[in-house]
Amino acid sequence: MDRSVYIAMTGATQTMRAQDAVSHNLANASTVGFKAELSAFQSVPVLGPGANTRINAVAQGVGADETQGSIQHTGRSLDVAVNGPGWVAVQAADGTEAYTRAGNLQLDADGNLTDSRGNPVMGTSGPIDIPQSSKISVGTDGTISSVPMGQGPDTIAAVGQIKLVNPDPTQMSEGSDGLMHMNDGSTADTDSTVTITSGALEASNVNPSSELVKMISLSRQYEMQVRSIKTSEDDADDSSKLLQAS
Amino acid sequence: MFSSLWIAKTGLDAQQTEMDVISNNLANASTTGFKSSRANFQDLMYQNEGQPGGQTTEQTQTPSGMLLGTGVKVVGTEKLFTQGAITQTGNSLDVAVQGNGFLQVTMPDGTIAYTRDGSLQEDSTGQLVTSDGYPVTPAITLPTNVNSVTIGTDGTVSVTSNGSTKPTTIGTIQLANFVNPAGLESMGQNLYLETESSGTAQTGQPGVNGMGTLSQGSLESSNTNVVEEMVNMIQAQRTYEMNSKSISAVDDMLSFVIQHT
Repeated sequence: MDRSVYIAMTGATQTMRAQDAVSHNLANASTVGFKAELSAFQSVPVLGPGANTRINAVAQGVGADETQGSIQHTGRSLDVAVNGPGWVAVQAADGTEAYTRAGNLQLDADGNLTDSRGNPVMGTSGPIDIPQSSKISVGTDGTISSVPMGQGPDTIAAVGQIKLVNPDPTQMSEGSDGLMHMNDGSTADTDSTVTITSGALEASNVNPSSELVKMISLSRQYEMQVRSIKTSEDDADDSSKLLQAS
Repeated sequence: MFSSLWIAKTGLDAQQTEMDVISNNLANASTTGFKSSRANFQDLMYQNEGQPGGQTTEQTQTPSGMLLGTGVKVVGTEKLFTQGAITQTGNSLDVAVQGNGFLQVTMPDGTIAYTRDGSLQEDSTGQLVTSDGYPVTPAITLPTNVNSVTIGTDGTVSVTSNGSTKPTTIGTIQLANFVNPAGLESMGQNLYLETESSGTAQTGQPGVNGMGTLSQGSLESSNTNVVEEMVNMIQAQRTYEMNSKSISAVDDMLSFVIQHT
């Protein structure tokens, strides 16, 4: 059986897979703090006996596009956007520390500061607990100050500081929970150069036009793979006709 | 099999929900005491088809993994409790809450509901009720032959009767506040119910302990920012279109396979 059919088939399958990543990016075009997934094709030689002429294309995730999304002002004091590189530390479901740029922070009924998924936000000294306050403000270094309920506006108490980190991006990767984790399971150190803006959110950094162009180019690529399958079929037809004639 | 179709479908669903939220905000742009909502999106779980940092040999690691995203979902709608504009009505039974806090009303089943809509009225027995007829808690009953009603910023309600010049205090309006007002359940009719995530209500006199003050003769307008909602609407519409474009692109790919093989 001609191997080119198989190669073209894997090519088509992988193109479809790359299309998944494009669809996922477009679906998240308005998700706060979302970073577009990048994918690239990698050539993987097909191992086995015979001449080394067959190369499969494999769609490979190459991490996320780390460029900054646009900053949108919301005026809500618990919305924070990270300026430039850096991450907000949260506690993932498995208890380890993970990192996010989705800064639409919330308070739960016990006054614990959480991210929008309900993961506790890590402070420089453990999770942050905010007492019932009449006013909460977040400083650029992550310091949270509150005017406790029943106190005058002059009694501002610092209640914690959001842990902001900026590890080497090559040391981190995205987990299946959508949060960034350190590759070696360690905990990133606080980085005092990372700043945040309160009352604003970082929009998704998906560039819709480039995603649409990618989508069109993948569609055409797919059609070429299918065409190649068809050509292989025609070739096989022709050779069987030759065999019949002889 | 064709995840792209399902992924794009989650995008359509999410933008549809966003439009529902925006429409509700715009529909209530003139509702007294209305608080606008915001839909929060979240990327769905990633299919891990190759762990980043996995060992390819004893010395080398894969620089990146193979994580396929599976779309988006609306993780929640959140009420934004920013202050609405205070408008003067001149009606002595209209009160607006300036700052934190909710007026408390008793529902027919005895539970307490919370509202920012202070367009109060008097029922047949003289009791102060909301425009839907739910009595304000603690109950305040106006005596007959009332000449004028004064509601102080601290909630004190005093009346002067016909033929008298001396005002009499008949009760105090109390406010309730929550650790996490965003966790309240909206039940319509401008009313909210306490939930596990809002925390229990802390009641107190207006102006004391961080509670807001009352302003008689005025009402709090809806805090819907019409311009912002319009911008959000355009954005939601375009994102919807892009996701439907994804669906048609994948559909074209599939129809090409069917036609050409």
